[in-house]
Amino acid sequence: MSVDRRKVAVFGAAFVLRLLLIGLFPSLPDLLTGRVEVSTPVNSFKRLQEGLFLYTRNVSPYDGGVFHQAPLLLPLFALLPDVRSSPLPTAIFYFLVDLVNAHALSTISESGQSIQGKLHSAVRKHIRWDGVSVAAWFLFNPFTIATCLARSTSVFTTSGILFAVSNAVGGNNVNAMLALGFASYLSLYPALLFIPLILLCYDQRTQNPLPNVAVFVAQQGAILLASVSGLLGLSYLITGNFWEFMSATYGFHLLVPDLTPNVGLWWYFFIEMFDSFREFFLGVFWLHLASYVGGMTVRLRRQPLFIITSLLGVFAIFKPYPSISDASLFFALLPLYRHLFPLMRYTFVAISVLLYSTLLGPAFYHLWIYAGSGNANFFYAITLVWSLGLSILLADSIFAALRDEWEQAHPEAQGVEVKQV
Amino acid sequence: MTGKNGDHESPRVSTPSNANANVKRIPPPESPAAVQTRFKVIAAFWAVIIFLGFPIWWKTTSVYRAHIPFQEMVDWADGKTCRPVFPLEIHLATPAMQSPEAQHLLRTTQHTLDDLNEFATHHLRLKLTNDSDTPTTQDDENSQGNASNAEKEAADTALTVRLLPQEDLAAPRSELHADTTQLDVFYPPSQTPVSSSSNPPLSAFIAGELQQLYAEEKATIAHILSSHAVGLDSPSPQVAGSISRRWRRSMQYAEIYHLSFSLFTPGPAPSAWDIEAAVDEYLSPLLRAFAPISNFTVDTQVQLYATFSPTATLPEYDETEAAWTLKKEGLSAFVNAAEWPLNPSIGNGPTINFILYIPDPSQSPLVVKENRASSWIIPQWGGVFLLNPPLSQTDSSGDRVNPAHLPLETLRPAFMTFSHQLLTLLGTPSTPVSLPLRLQTLIRVRAATLLLSASSTMGSLARLTESLPSIPIPATVSASVSATLSRLAATCSHLRAGRFGAALANARVAEKEAERSFFEKSMVGQVYFPDEHKVAVYLPLLGPIGVPLVIGLIKELKRVVASWKAQRRPT
Repeated sequence: MSVDRRKVAVFGAAFVLRLLLIGLFPSLPDLLTGRVEVSTPVNSFKRLQEGLFLYTRNVSPYDGGVFHQAPLLLPLFALLPDVRSSPLPTAIFYFLVDLVNAHALSTISESGQSIQGKLHSAVRKHIRWDGVSVAAWFLFNPFTIATCLARSTSVFTTSGILFAVSNAVGGNNVNAMLALGFASYLSLYPALLFIPLILLCYDQRTQNPLPNVAVFVAQQGAILLASVSGLLGLSYLITGNFWEFMSATYGFHLLVPDLTPNVGLWWYFFIEMFDSFREFFLGVFWLHLASYVGGMTVRLRRQPLFIITSLLGVFAIFKPYPSISDASLFFALLPLYRHLFPLMRYTFVAISVLLYSTLLGPAFYHLWIYAGSGNANFFYAITLVWSLGLSILLADSIFAALRDEWEQAHPEAQGVEVKQV
Repeated sequence: MTGKNGDHESPRVSTPSNANANVKRIPPPESPAAVQTRFKVIAAFWAVIIFLGFPIWWKTTSVYRAHIPFQEMVDWADGKTCRPVFPLEIHLATPAMQSPEAQHLLRTTQHTLDDLNEFATHHLRLKLTNDSDTPTTQDDENSQGNASNAEKEAADTALTVRLLPQEDLAAPRSELHADTTQLDVFYPPSQTPVSSSSNPPLSAFIAGELQQLYAEEKATIAHILSSHAVGLDSPSPQVAGSISRRWRRSMQYAEIYHLSFSLFTPGPAPSAWDIEAAVDEYLSPLLRAFAPISNFTVDTQVQLYATFSPTATLPEYDETEAAWTLKKEGLSAFVNAAEWPLNPSIGNGPTINFILYIPDPSQSPLVVKENRASSWIIPQWGGVFLLNPPLSQTDSSGDRVNPAHLPLETLRPAFMTFSHQLLTLLGTPSTPVSLPLRLQTLIRVRAATLLLSASSTMGSLARLTESLPSIPIPATVSASVSATLSRLAATCSHLRAGRFGAALANARVAEKEAERSFFEKSMVGQVYFPDEHKVAVYLPLLGPIGVPLVIGLIKELKRVVASWKAQRRPT
């Protein structure tokens, strides 16, 4: 197998860039680790350290209510040298995870699934980026770099999702389900990607006759369940108390007890909510998040990969503890749809809004928390703007995908200006 | 959502008058597949709402109201369920009398008593004890202990009357033991009742004595009952006035009181006192006697260099008295509430403060001007005692100074006073002289007040939960309510049987449970939550989500209806 020079160059450059950043600014990782935009209660490296400290001293890592991440991360990080005395091995481990994610992304891109699926073929096939460029977009995205330097454990969820997708487009549905099981085990919400991923796998089936849909779904569901329960079983072996870790991790995801500010929409809302309505609105918010799966799957049935992309965008906006790592995953998959960019109408607005909130967010947070000259509304307003920016981008890309489908059905109408009535 | 409605945008139909647009641009027709897809999308969203959303809404916003017996609670509050009665059992010991004579005396005395008594709720029942040396009978603590063992079914003995013949007496006289529940009646042997006399003078005397002994208790109970229930005639206004004055002075009943003893002095000495020994010696027996009524904790502190507040009237030297005096009207400002660290509360339960003030040697001795008193009570707060210890001349400059240490003996008068103040603050009646009798009275009075207050709490709770159908009733409240009601019933039956110790024990639990159910936190959270607030809660979020969903549904239904009609027309 010939080594792709461009790929080596991009991956090497990304690696060196990260090394340079921590070499030149040794305090940068710790600074980023403490930022609320990057570290949420469910992916914070600091909290992982706390859990690790307890774990290595044979105390239940969930004692104290600080650590809420999956137990299997603990033995993994226990293998790495102590991050206080030697941060470099941990940092390099995270760099490698990033490179692996980028590789998975380039695999997805190379498959061409985003342009030419079984049921759909894009109109503007010639406008596209190759795998290395897509990987480069991911690797040099500042959000990705910040997530990586902050050593947020979301990168493992990202890996799980990207590997699930890359295996699915490669036709390896067992591995896809195993990877999705891993991602769901870590963060719960990727389980919502099950249906579109099934569609993606199903469309890759080439054997004749096609397998029965119900049997196929049942098979894949069984694999997913087996992988999740295997991981849960391992976790049980590690922690020894099943319900304690279930309630500390998944209970925490579902019930959202920690309202530390983050870039999402939940924390402020639940601070303000009357206690007696809290459970109801938890239900509403989760259902809101989940309800997109059905509608999008039906509407975009012909482009399962695009369903996954747009669902990841929805998650980045509406999940309970979002961080910029979720946005970076959405941004990583968007370049696969380079051919849709000409159809998008509000790219400038969306990018401006995102830049605006990226720059003002930390400033407003500083005004609120450190300077004391602002209040919570400052930061909340900017997170609303951030979510608005992501929503515009998401809605615009979905519009572009639908327009693409429509143009395919009506070739005569290509390039016609459309107006909303 | 966005994707759903943004799929088939139709170009705007240009008006025919527009010269440039000579081609009439109409949207291409929707393919049946697209229509079907849209139907499925809308169905997918509505399926989530109907199958997941509504159950969650129903489950999380339904108000859990555990069953509580409204009518029973209201009945208790209205006094319909229980009419508290206080039958006091009094033993008559007649060691020197023959049985028929004693029986006759008992009957006539009981008869006289019943004639004298116009307050039926509280009555005295005489009983003959054959055992002539019933030891000075159960003192108060014993009768409490007995309530739990074999003697459970028997009524508490309120008083033992011993009839002792004595020569050289012209008329009967009585003597009440100060530390037991025994009344000795001495009578001239000549007055030994004979069966023939219908109204022997001895029985009249005994009845009169007993009536007098329980006069204050009777008035107090009548006052309490009349203030709660209508229909009972209240005692005479002047008696009622003295009773209510006493009640105003005493603390509210509490399960636990915190006693705080503080030594304040304006100088550096004394800096130590034998407080532990003093509490053990002078106070503990009293607190033990109070055990069936309330529990106590004791805290102490020493505060040196404690100055008067700037607004207080300073002591003046009175030549005639040869003492420093405080004016009576200035006593209310004596306690420097701003600067003296007197905790308003230690834990839950009220604090009773006792202040021992040692004046500066230059102002010693210090007394109250009008009556040379050295102590006073502060209603519902505590008591103050001015202690003027003997001064010693150990200072280098020859000035007289306070002793550095207050021994047990010096503290004795102070603690005697504090004990009295404590009794007053806890609402103990002032008569009769026997302390066990006064405590028994207090037990009955407290049982009555707790019974009434727990009952009225139940009534309030029932009315509250009935008038606010939107507040939840947690299961704990329901459990507390049923515990309260059963304890109240037990209290009532114990009262009827004359077992006042057991009645108070039950009433205490009832009161505690009643308070707990009334002040349940999760209930008060929604006491004021009208329906228009719910609109404000639901609309801001569900409105924006709901409008496109509902409009999508309506459009889709219209289309389905239209196509259904179109299908029917050709046939």
